[in-house]
Amino acid sequence: MLPVLYAIIVATLFPFALGPEHALLARIAGGVVLVTVLLAMLLALDNVFRGDLDDGALEQMLLSPQPLSVLLAARMLAYWLVTALPLLLVAPILAYMLGLQPAVQPVLLLALLLATPLLALLGIVLTALTAGTRRSGMLLSLMLLPLAVPIVIFAAGAVGAAQQGLPWIAPLAWLAAALALALVLAPLACATALRIALDT
Amino acid sequence: MNAFKLWYHKLGSPPYFYVFAGYIQPWLWTIAIVLALLGLYGGLVLAPPDALQGDAFRIIFVHVPAAWMSLFVYGVMAVSAFIAVIWRPKMAEVLAMESAPIGAAFTLIALITGSLWGKPMWGTYWTWDARLTSELVLFFIYLGIIGLYHAFDDPRQGARAASFLAMIGAVNLPIVHYSVVWWNTLHQGTTVRYFGPSSIAPSMLWPLLLMTIAAKFYYGASLMGRSRVALLDRERGKDWVADEVRGGDVHG
Repeated sequence: MLPVLYAIIVATLFPFALGPEHALLARIAGGVVLVTVLLAMLLALDNVFRGDLDDGALEQMLLSPQPLSVLLAARMLAYWLVTALPLLLVAPILAYMLGLQPAVQPVLLLALLLATPLLALLGIVLTALTAGTRRSGMLLSLMLLPLAVPIVIFAAGAVGAAQQGLPWIAPLAWLAAALALALVLAPLACATALRIALDT
Repeated sequence: MNAFKLWYHKLGSPPYFYVFAGYIQPWLWTIAIVLALLGLYGGLVLAPPDALQGDAFRIIFVHVPAAWMSLFVYGVMAVSAFIAVIWRPKMAEVLAMESAPIGAAFTLIALITGSLWGKPMWGTYWTWDARLTSELVLFFIYLGIIGLYHAFDDPRQGARAASFLAMIGAVNLPIVHYSVVWWNTLHQGTTVRYFGPSSIAPSMLWPLLLMTIAAKFYYGASLMGRSRVALLDRERGKDWVADEVRGGDVHG
């Protein structure tokens, strides 16, 4: 639940920082919600392998006869269900509070539905790389955020286009294509990364 | 095995590489400095002021080579990183990891000189131009690679992990660049353009090319120097390092 609370609090800070002017908040609502969700997911990433690493379960996964990539794919799905899904539930409320037009809400939700799995896949590959290190919180953001730039651009681009009444399907199609690619490649890359980071 | 292949395999051995790097490093330095002096003289003294930009354009003799090098070094690093992850030779790890700070430095130089040039030209130090933005993201990616490398206690493990990150970054960089271009055209009606490279006058072109080649040689020299230090550090338990340190090094 912590990522959800974090997202709510961060989104609440924006009106305080920028003033309660409705037009301004409505214009940036989509982007604020997207970035907030991204940060909240980042917050939870650090713990993905931490517990398993400490109690030795991760080594058992590496040694198990099942392909490591399949186990990691299950881990990614679990992370998305636990972290991203609650954020998806709370995101429309945050967007509404910031004054996003109701007509744009479905676009924002669709963009988040495509962007959050992508972030989860990419983020867990990078988390696997830092699994062998002691402190990784800040490092992980340094590694993930530059690589997440395209995801933010396309997701926010779709929302921005919808706000201006322009066609918004193209950026979402790009996100969907990237997601299809990442679904196949990310578990394999994650398995390689984990083997590198734990030196097996 | 022919002579070149033998030499190539020998180069993979740290003591041999250490001596070889120490031998070619002064030459690389010499060529880089001579070319840079010629290029700077040609660019700052001989080339006429630009018709539109006056003398302010002269920063391109530093800016453009640095910007090109920021990508070139990433390319070299990504290839070494690929080799390091797949075949795990020590030297590829060292070369990839020692390239990263040099590449980051070139990227930073490109960013700083670009913003200095932007002040008289665009009236602002920073604008969310597509090239500036992707260069900034490139800088962050370099920092992530350097940070990951240093987060591990074991440099070999850190080098392999950071090499893998460099490979992910190499796949992602074109995506970042084109998404930034797309984002830029979406949000900004008018984009400020650099003057086209084809329209550059020959009197400005040759110093630019000289500076570019000088930057390449500087990179080579710097990489050799960094790699030698990294090798001494990594192999400090080995006999050849003890011999090198104790026995009065002839090459450095």
